[in-house]
Amino acid sequence: MRQRRLFLQSVRGVAALAMAIVAFFPFYWIVNTSMTPADELYSGGQSVWLDLSRAQYAFQILTTESPFLRWLGNSAVVATGTTILSVLLALLAAYALSRFRFAGKGLFSFIFFSSQMLPEALIIVPLYALFVSLQLLNQPAGLVLANTAFSMPVAVWILKAAIDGVPLEIEESARVDGCGPMKTLRYMVLPIIAPSIAAAAVIAFFDSWNEYLFATTFMRTKSLWLASTGLASFQGEYQTPLDVVFSGAFVFSLPAVIFFLIVQKRIVAGLTAGSVKG
Amino acid sequence: MHNEVLTRKQPVSSPRRRRITWAPYLFIALPVLYSLALSGLPLLKGFQLSLTSAKLLNPNGGRFVGLQNYQTLLASPQTWASIGVTLLYTLLVVTSSVLLGLAAALLINQYFFGRVVVRAMLTVPWAVPTVAVALVFTWMMNGGSGILNAVTETLGLGRHEWLTDPTWALLSVTVATMWKVTPFVMLVLLAALQAVPIELVEAARVDGANPWTTFRVVTMPAILPSLRVVVLLMTIWSFRRFEIIWLLTGGGPADATNTIVVGVYRTAFSQFNLGVAAALGMLGVVMSLAVTVVYAVVERQGTER
Repeated sequence: MRQRRLFLQSVRGVAALAMAIVAFFPFYWIVNTSMTPADELYSGGQSVWLDLSRAQYAFQILTTESPFLRWLGNSAVVATGTTILSVLLALLAAYALSRFRFAGKGLFSFIFFSSQMLPEALIIVPLYALFVSLQLLNQPAGLVLANTAFSMPVAVWILKAAIDGVPLEIEESARVDGCGPMKTLRYMVLPIIAPSIAAAAVIAFFDSWNEYLFATTFMRTKSLWLASTGLASFQGEYQTPLDVVFSGAFVFSLPAVIFFLIVQKRIVAGLTAGSVKG
Repeated sequence: MHNEVLTRKQPVSSPRRRRITWAPYLFIALPVLYSLALSGLPLLKGFQLSLTSAKLLNPNGGRFVGLQNYQTLLASPQTWASIGVTLLYTLLVVTSSVLLGLAAALLINQYFFGRVVVRAMLTVPWAVPTVAVALVFTWMMNGGSGILNAVTETLGLGRHEWLTDPTWALLSVTVATMWKVTPFVMLVLLAALQAVPIELVEAARVDGANPWTTFRVVTMPAILPSLRVVVLLMTIWSFRRFEIIWLLTGGGPADATNTIVVGVYRTAFSQFNLGVAAALGMLGVVMSLAVTVVYAVVERQGTER
């Protein structure tokens, strides 16, 4: 019996490991390609093993010969703006949806949910027309506004799920002490749901960081591009060697991978809770 | 599930409703107005544009043409082909990612040595930005020195132009998409599996149920709500997915991957025809809405049972 269990365990372990290797491989291949000399890449001689002695070579060329660092900076600015605006707006909505019963609640939830159904690629045509009228093209602020429309609803769900889990007694006691709803939210609820706020912030930040369509359509000037646009622009042009392109892809992906791994549980909880109840 | 929500909320909010009715509206006004301004307004604007002959260079200078754009679209075989591609792509992505994600979740839910590492490795694809995903899949799937061809050649499946051959393009795009979205399915279903009471599973085993029966009778009903949600999200997200398709194939070769959203973008920004693009966009919105309505109906039947 014991032996059989041990056997089953190892079979599972092997199956899972095989799956994990396949799943991880493309990310590994980004790293590998960034460390392989370009001529080896084009001649088909890419080794499956890493050559760590070339770990920094391509990245140095990337930073000296392209505006990639500047693009990363632009991405960070827009992502920060999107995060702050999304989380602030989402906190208000999440608190109302979690703690009150009121007429129109279902409608409001639907308005937030419907942003999941509206494809960005459909919205972009009228949004482009609007942005031309409002002179928001080439403005980082315009991009922040557009991104927030799509990342705020996700934040609403994550935060609503978190506030649902805060014991009511805590708020009751604050109310007895004479705190209004706004003060209660700020001093009683916020500290407790801080981890979920962090998760919502991470997902908003990287939604914007990873976003390509709005960034490419609204930021027309090359120096204002975000990293996603810049990186995609390398594809199909032959001036930038492939190892340099992939070092960009790696540097661009790494922060997202690290932060998503840290907060994945809360993101999943928020997204599914929002769709089940919303 | 619904009962639980109701019983938890009833005593909470009804006393407060009497005291301050304005508070919730004060809280929710700003976010709702924001959503309406940034997605409701563009939707209306899109509908208005779809009735005009607007061009990209002068987006607000179109002439009113009534339903002409819709007539043009519905008469064009390209539109129907594109609806077909969208449905096929959605079907392939949803089926493959849900089956694979479920398998991975069931596997990870068991104890084995190195589980934490395996779980992290399986989660990574979800976090990699789409632009980087597109770059690496273009590289792996290129017809010359791509590693995929090295693998398929070794396996005796031959070499192919994965992304530039109309026979393979949609399948290749599906594989890249599946790689990126499956971890999300896995994480959602894993969370559901971990909430299944272990006593139930043990009881079934003691009663002599084999693993398959245990799964069918105990596990499956318990994770069904999560499974439904994840299928809905995967479907909606597949309908609206643009970036990965655009970056891998641009809708080609020979329109083999030209989904509706890709078609909208091409019509607007390559053919400069905003009016027709907006009309195509409206067709896409109607399709997404239809899916959600179907889901709502299925969900209602599910909870009534």
